[in-house]
Amino acid sequence: MTHLVLDKVSVRYDGQPAPAVENVSIDAAKDDFVVLVGRSGCGKTSLLNVAAGLVAPERGSAAIGGRPIIAPGSDRAVVFQNDALFPWLTARENVAFALRLRGVGPSERARHADKLLALVKLDGAGDKRIWELSGGMRQRVGLARALAAEPQFLLLDEPLGALDALTRERMQTTLLDLWTASQVGVLMVTHGIEEALVLATRIIVLAPGPGRVVRSFETGFSRRYAAGEAIRSVKADPAFAAARSELTDAIFEGEAA
Amino acid sequence: MTISSYSERPASKLAKVDDEADALSVPWSRPRPKRSGVSARVVSAVTILVVLAAWALSARLQLVSPVFLPSPVAVWSKFVVVARDGFVDATLAQHIAASLGRVFAALIAALVVGVPIGLAIGISTIGRGIFDPLLEFLRPIPPLAYLPLVIIWFGIGEPSKILVIAIAMLAPVALSTASGVRGVSQERINAARSLGATSMQLVRHVILPSALPSILTGLRIALGAGWSTLVAAELVAATRGLGFMIQSAAQFLVTDVVVMGILVIAVIAFGLEFVIRRIERGLVPWAGRE
Repeated sequence: MTHLVLDKVSVRYDGQPAPAVENVSIDAAKDDFVVLVGRSGCGKTSLLNVAAGLVAPERGSAAIGGRPIIAPGSDRAVVFQNDALFPWLTARENVAFALRLRGVGPSERARHADKLLALVKLDGAGDKRIWELSGGMRQRVGLARALAAEPQFLLLDEPLGALDALTRERMQTTLLDLWTASQVGVLMVTHGIEEALVLATRIIVLAPGPGRVVRSFETGFSRRYAAGEAIRSVKADPAFAAARSELTDAIFEGEAA
Repeated sequence: MTISSYSERPASKLAKVDDEADALSVPWSRPRPKRSGVSARVVSAVTILVVLAAWALSARLQLVSPVFLPSPVAVWSKFVVVARDGFVDATLAQHIAASLGRVFAALIAALVVGVPIGLAIGISTIGRGIFDPLLEFLRPIPPLAYLPLVIIWFGIGEPSKILVIAIAMLAPVALSTASGVRGVSQERINAARSLGATSMQLVRHVILPSALPSILTGLRIALGAGWSTLVAAELVAATRGLGFMIQSAAQFLVTDVVVMGILVIAVIAFGLEFVIRRIERGLVPWAGRE
């Protein structure tokens, strides 16, 4: 099985005296949903960018399927907090963007894009312009666009961060549905503690100054949803509340209460 | 413009002039559900009518000699005559066609040269290092200053005239393109790269379309610069063109043709501005709405 591996990665930005990330190792398998959480400045996004090939590590290495990561590539499609969609294209054309780059013909492109739009529950919105879509719909288009590249891993940088609380909750189950349906590995950055618990198979807690791993949890709540249990029943489980408090403690560890 | 009609238009940064006009005509800070009083458009129409009336009145009362200020009626009848019979060996339509031809030939040249230069400035530091000082050198020089040099180099033919106008258009096109390119969000570029875009695909499919609103703004500014350079370009050895027509008329103190030529230029410039705004709305409907 393909693994996305960050090995003893340190990141230092030009002109910064202290590294943003120091000596972090992550190993994500293709059926994993790995979530990075932590306070601001703990280097979550830096690590995601290393995996994406957008930032080169100062020390350590990154690899996917054994091949070193030296540049961005469609085997690791990124979705950002601000959807970064192309407003001159329709929703369908946005989704088909990766296929267009590969020279896939127009009709084949449209057919495939419509399939992916249906997967993110946007059937019939293909002809819509980007500015006609709500924030949640735009993120759905962004996810479908990333999946169209047929990546091994999805790299999600706070993809639900800009959405309102209710939309966010619905998008969490959409994300899980996508993860099970498309069989991609996920590496995601979030601020949301409950979001991390709902989505992750593994949660990696980072602490700032410099960014480093303080805890790593295996969690089973997302697999329970994937196995058919209702999300409300998962969240109502006392074990969920216990895990939330344990995770919160880990994030704020060492900080005066 | 009423508030309801405002919401129907794209809140485009390209419509900035309109916004400013609105801000002037709305002295209240909070929005009002229904505007009382008159719209800016009506005020503008009244202003134009008042100016026309003052012009007609001063001509009628012979406050100024017709050599200095011919009456509106005289200008209009001259317009009809020149449109039908022509002035200095060419009809009005031929003069207009000659001028428009030069301006558009120059515009195409400025786009063909200026957009790639703007891309180079916006994308690469080397490109910026090469072209920024050249453009900053060229930009503040009035076209009349380099006109003689262009004539020494390229003669008095049509290419020189087009070149002078194109030089005046180059800086606005290139600098607007560069600022549009620099304004492309890093996330958009990163997203495209992670979807597998090569450098060339990035330019073609992401950077150029992202910069298009800015390029069109540059095109609009360039056309304005082009029109102001036109008269200068047609000073030398032209036999046709609106600038040439005005110049020849001025030499014989045919003031009504001079005034008529000025008005024709104004109307054409206004019409072009209108057309380009339409094109902008059709081509980049997303501007300001992202």
